[in-house]
Amino acid sequence: MSSVKLYKSIDSTSANCAGAIGELAGAINDAYAGEGVEIFIKDEATRKDVYAWAKKTRHKIVVDESVGDKLRLVVEKVA
Amino acid sequence: MLVAGGGIGGTIVANRIAQKLSDEMARGEVKVTVLDRSQKHYYQPGFMLVSMGEMHPKDTFAEERELLDRRVGLITGDKGTITKLNPADKAVVTADGSTHNYDYLVLATGSHIQVDEIPGFKEGAQTFFSLDGAQKMWDSVRGFQGGNIVVDVAMLPHKCPVAPLEITLMLDDYFKRKGIRDKVNLHYCYPVPGVFGIPNVNKMMTGVFDQRGINVHSQFTLAGVDPSGKKITSKEGESLNYDLLIAVPPHKGAQVLGDSGIGDRRNWVPTDKYSLQMKGHDDVYVMGDTTDIPISKAGSTADYESYVVANNVSVDAAGGGSKRDYTGSVFCYIATGLDQATYIKFDYTHPPNPPTPSQIHWWGKLAYNRLYWSIHARTII
Repeated sequence: MSSVKLYKSIDSTSANCAGAIGELAGAINDAYAGEGVEIFIKDEATRKDVYAWAKKTRHKIVVDESVGDKLRLVVEKVA
Repeated sequence: MLVAGGGIGGTIVANRIAQKLSDEMARGEVKVTVLDRSQKHYYQPGFMLVSMGEMHPKDTFAEERELLDRRVGLITGDKGTITKLNPADKAVVTADGSTHNYDYLVLATGSHIQVDEIPGFKEGAQTFFSLDGAQKMWDSVRGFQGGNIVVDVAMLPHKCPVAPLEITLMLDDYFKRKGIRDKVNLHYCYPVPGVFGIPNVNKMMTGVFDQRGINVHSQFTLAGVDPSGKKITSKEGESLNYDLLIAVPPHKGAQVLGDSGIGDRRNWVPTDKYSLQMKGHDDVYVMGDTTDIPISKAGSTADYESYVVANNVSVDAAGGGSKRDYTGSVFCYIATGLDQATYIKFDYTHPPNPPTPSQIHWWGKLAYNRLYWSIHARTII
């Protein structure tokens, strides 16, 4: 269980124009360092995209779990 | 009932409510009023066509009063400019100091460009996300003789998500027709990997960009614009020189929402994705760009949502009937040149499958723009 304070939760289980990474990047931009953004996604390909994006932007994935038929990830903003 | 905002969403939903509750309104049991600072109604999707000389600026606005059902009230100016929302007291305050009480509120206050958020943006970038900006951009495009044109998306989400794809492909076509495409280097900078957020649309459009010789820079998150050096830099450390910079500024929800303690730090309002009710407030509906639902911030989204909001608020107010859910419907044309287009149509459970670009869809796009004033805004359908 992560103790990161959540700034925002995003349900990205449906198609959307910004995509999971676009929504996540926008929310992380507005989060304060140390806060987390929770995102629900549907598939493994998107999960890999989130990992690749987090690595490139140097933010930290602190939760990665299955919740029913969804995947739940929490990304912590690193300053 | 109060409708906050007289843009596409607010106008359409007010007209639909009037149609649903015509008997109750005739008996004086229901009153519907739209509040907006402006008497003018702007059709913002038209701005992109203005920026390419494909639409006359005067065709992008009309008098709001002429579009609204005659039974719907309209308050503009200071009396219509909301300065405070207080859902706990079911009231809004306007700039003239008046308090307007409501039984039901529809928030349709839209998204707003933030040209001051990124250093140098206002001075160095052109944008078609305002009418004034679109007109200036067309002058720049017409006068462009060659060099680097950079199309940049500063941040997601923004309104009309397909517009950056469209403007890039329209520019490509414009300079081809002008016979100077070989003198124009087109660059497309996007803040996430690829050129668009939906995987199969991204794949299709990446192929089109490749065929057209458009240079893609992604992930490229705009950090700053240097207007004197004509250079942009990204948070990822890349820099790019430009002769003409066409950029999509960051967007936010209406400032009054933040000032009222509603919404996240970008003023998007927490909204149930199915009922379109503001979370924690069943008497407040939210639609269009105003919501925090991860879906297209587009006029067509607001149009689809308006059926649900008008129905459900009418059931709330008058009883009878049954409530509906918004299923995530979106429809957007995507211009792929100056005489061809494709489209995306999708919902929460069905991703889009854009058809091969054709002239038919281009005419469809133009027809939709034309018919907006007579059919869509007036909710004939």
